[in-house]
Amino acid sequence: MRERTFAVLGLFDSADALLKAIPAVKAGGLGRLEAYTPYPIHGLDEALELKRSPLAGMVVVMAFLGALAALAMQGWMSAVDYPIITGGKAPFSWQAFVPILFELMVLFATFTAGLGMLFLLNRLPFFGHPLLSSRAIQAITRDRFALAIEADKADLDVEAARVLLSGAGARDIEVLPMPGAREILDAPFILRSLGGIALACLVAGTLLHQAIKLFPVLPPMSHMQEQPRLNAYQPSAFFRDGHGMRQPVPGTVARGYLPLGTRDPDALVNPLPRTQAVLLQGREAYRVRCLVCHGALGDGVPTLTAAYQAKPANLVSPEFRTAPDGRFYLAIVDGKNAMPTYAADMSEDERWAAIHYVRALQRAQNAKDSDLEGSRP
Amino acid sequence: MSVRNKRLWGATLVGLAGILIAYAKVGAERFWLNWVLWFVFLLSLALGALFLVALEHLVAARWSVPIRRIPERLSTLLIPLTVIGLIGLAAVPVIYPGARPEALADKLLAGKAFWLGLPCFSLRVVLCFVAWLAALAVLVKGSLAQDRSHDPRFNIRARRFAPLAMAFFGFGITLVAFDWISALEPAWYSDIFGVQLFAGAFLAGLSATVLMVLHLQGRDRLPEVGRDHLYNLGGFTFAFTVFWAYIAFAQYMLMWYADLPEEVFWYEKRLHGGWLPVILVTGVLHFLIPFFALLSRDAKKHPGRLRWIAIVMLLAHFLDLYWLVFPALMPQPVFSWPELSFALFFLGGALLWIRRVRGLGEDMPVGDAFLKQGLEFRL
Repeated sequence: MRERTFAVLGLFDSADALLKAIPAVKAGGLGRLEAYTPYPIHGLDEALELKRSPLAGMVVVMAFLGALAALAMQGWMSAVDYPIITGGKAPFSWQAFVPILFELMVLFATFTAGLGMLFLLNRLPFFGHPLLSSRAIQAITRDRFALAIEADKADLDVEAARVLLSGAGARDIEVLPMPGAREILDAPFILRSLGGIALACLVAGTLLHQAIKLFPVLPPMSHMQEQPRLNAYQPSAFFRDGHGMRQPVPGTVARGYLPLGTRDPDALVNPLPRTQAVLLQGREAYRVRCLVCHGALGDGVPTLTAAYQAKPANLVSPEFRTAPDGRFYLAIVDGKNAMPTYAADMSEDERWAAIHYVRALQRAQNAKDSDLEGSRP
Repeated sequence: MSVRNKRLWGATLVGLAGILIAYAKVGAERFWLNWVLWFVFLLSLALGALFLVALEHLVAARWSVPIRRIPERLSTLLIPLTVIGLIGLAAVPVIYPGARPEALADKLLAGKAFWLGLPCFSLRVVLCFVAWLAALAVLVKGSLAQDRSHDPRFNIRARRFAPLAMAFFGFGITLVAFDWISALEPAWYSDIFGVQLFAGAFLAGLSATVLMVLHLQGRDRLPEVGRDHLYNLGGFTFAFTVFWAYIAFAQYMLMWYADLPEEVFWYEKRLHGGWLPVILVTGVLHFLIPFFALLSRDAKKHPGRLRWIAIVMLLAHFLDLYWLVFPALMPQPVFSWPELSFALFFLGGALLWIRRVRGLGEDMPVGDAFLKQGLEFRL
C-alpha cells in the first residue's frame, strides 16, 4: 500500500508573504489549509476563513443544562424526596439553591470547554503531530512562516500541492507522511496500555502486601482502636469479675432523685399546700407536659396526638375524680399504657403541683352552685 | 443657540419650576428623596467615568486610549454635581434619621449620631468632592493640556497619580453608598453595600461612554475607533452585569438566610407591596436582558445592540437606586408629576452639560504617545 500523506508544507520568509499566498492556495481547493507561525498574526484567521469554533455554543448549552440539573436535583431532594423545614424556610427555597446552581453551571461549562477542546476539536489522543517530526519545525518556531495543505477526506494530490505552493511563492516544500498506527491511539494499543496498568497495580499491590507481612515495622495508625476502654455488653479485663465498673454501694441515692417510701397509691400524700402559687405552677407544668394528650380541660380530648390512635385518660371522669393522688403520681413517674414516664421531665414539685391543678380542673368541670357563694361581690 | 439646546433649556426650566412647586405641594421629604436619587444617579455615572479614566492610567491600558476623551468629558459632570451635592446637604436634617435631634433619644442611633450628624456628614461630602475634583484636575485637565503640548510627562504623572485616584474613588463611592443611601435607615447595615453601588456606578459610566462613542461615530467623528474597541466596552458591560447580580444577590441571600430582625426589615420593606415588581423589573433589566443579549461574541461589538443595552443599563441603574432610596420613606412606589419634573430638570441639566463638554479638547487624546498603539489594537 502506498504511504498516505498528511500534508504538504511550504515555508515563507515573512508574514506578509504568507498572507498574500493564502488566497491563491485556497483557490486551488486541494485540502484543508493550516498556517503555522512563530507568533500570532493579525488577519490570519480572516484570510484562512476559519470557521467559528462550535465550542462556545456547546459550553452555553451545557452550562444551562448544569443549572437546570442543579435546580432539579435540589428541588427534588429538598422539596419532594425528603422535605425538611430548616431555619423556618420553605422546603423549596430558591434562594438557597442559587449558589449550587451557579457552581454546577460553572462545573458543566468548564468540563465541556476543557474536554470538548481536547477530544472533540483537537482530536486527541494524538501522540505526535506530524509537524513535530518535520524538518521545518525548527524554522517555524524561529523565523519562518509555514502554510500547509492538509489532507481532509480524500487523498492529497502531492504533486499538485507542490506546484500550487511554489507558485504562491513558498520555498522549502516538504511532504509530511501520515503518522503510522504507532503515533495514533488505536484499540490494541489502548487495550495493551490498560492491561499493563492493571498488571502493574497487581504486582505492586502483591509486593506491598507481602512486604508488610514480612517487615511489620510500620504498624498502621490504630492507637485509638487499641486503647483500653469499655465496650457496651462486652466483658472487661480491668476488674476480675469482668465488669467495667463497680456496683454502687447498697442504699446509694442518685442526685435529684428521692426514692418513694411506698408504692401504695392510697398511702402517697400530696406534700404541697393548695395555694394560688402552687396551682399556677401546676397549671404551667400541666400545660407543658400533659395538655397535648389530656387536653386543656383534662377531658382526654387530645390537641396534637389524634394521629397516634392513643386514648388518653379522661382525668375529669368520675373514676379519676375519686382516685387517690398517688394514682396520678405513679402514672407520671412510671408511665401508663401508651403514656411514657415523665420522671425525667417533671421535678417532684411539678408533679404534685400538676396533680393539684388536675383536681382544680375536675372541680371546674363539676362545679356546684355553692361554689359560687362567697365569690360574689 | 441651536434648536436642540433651546428645547433642552426649556425642559430644564420647566423641570425646575415643577420641582419648586413640588417642594411646596408634596412636602420636603419627597422632594429631598428625589433630589438624593438624582444626585446619586448622576454622581455614580460621573464617578464610573472617572474610574474608567483612572483604570486606564493605573494598568497602562492601551486599547482604551482612543476613547479616553469620552469618559474624561463625562467625568466633568462632577463639577455641577458639587453644587447639587452641597444643596443636597439641606436634605440631611430632613430625611436622615441619624442627623435629627430625636436620634439622641434612640439608644442605637445615639452611638452613630456624631458620624451621621450634619457637621460630620457635610465634612465627608466636602472632602469627597475635594478629592474627586483633584483627580479631575490631574487626570482630565492634564490630558486636555496634552492635546496641545504633546508632553509625554503627563502619562508618567497620571500613572503615578492613578492609585491615589482609585483610592479616592473606592473610599468615595463607599461613603456615597453608606451616607446618602444606607443612612436613610441607619439601623440597617451591610458591608458589601458600597461594592453594590460601585458595580452600578461602573456600569452607568460605561454605558454613558458607549452611548457617547456611538453618538459621535454616528456623526462621523471617532472613525478610527473600531469594532475591537467596542468589543472591549461590551465585554466590560457584560462582566459587570454579572458582577452586579452577584453582589446584589449575595447580600440578599446572606440576610435571607440569617433572617435577623435588624437586617431583614430592610428587605421586608422592599420585597412587599409595590416594591416587589420594581426590583423584579430591575433584575430583568440589570442582569437577565443584558446577560443574554451580550452573551455571544458578535453581540459585544454590534453597535446597534450595544446602544440599546446601554440605554437599558442606565434605566436599570436608575431603577436600582430608586428601589434603594425611595422605600426608606415611601411604603409604596410613587411616580407622578414631581418625579417627572425632577427627571426633566436633572436629565435636561445633565444633557446640557454634556453638550457643553462635547467639544472639550479633541475627540481623541491626540497628544498621547500611546494613541497610535491604541488605534492598532486588535482582539
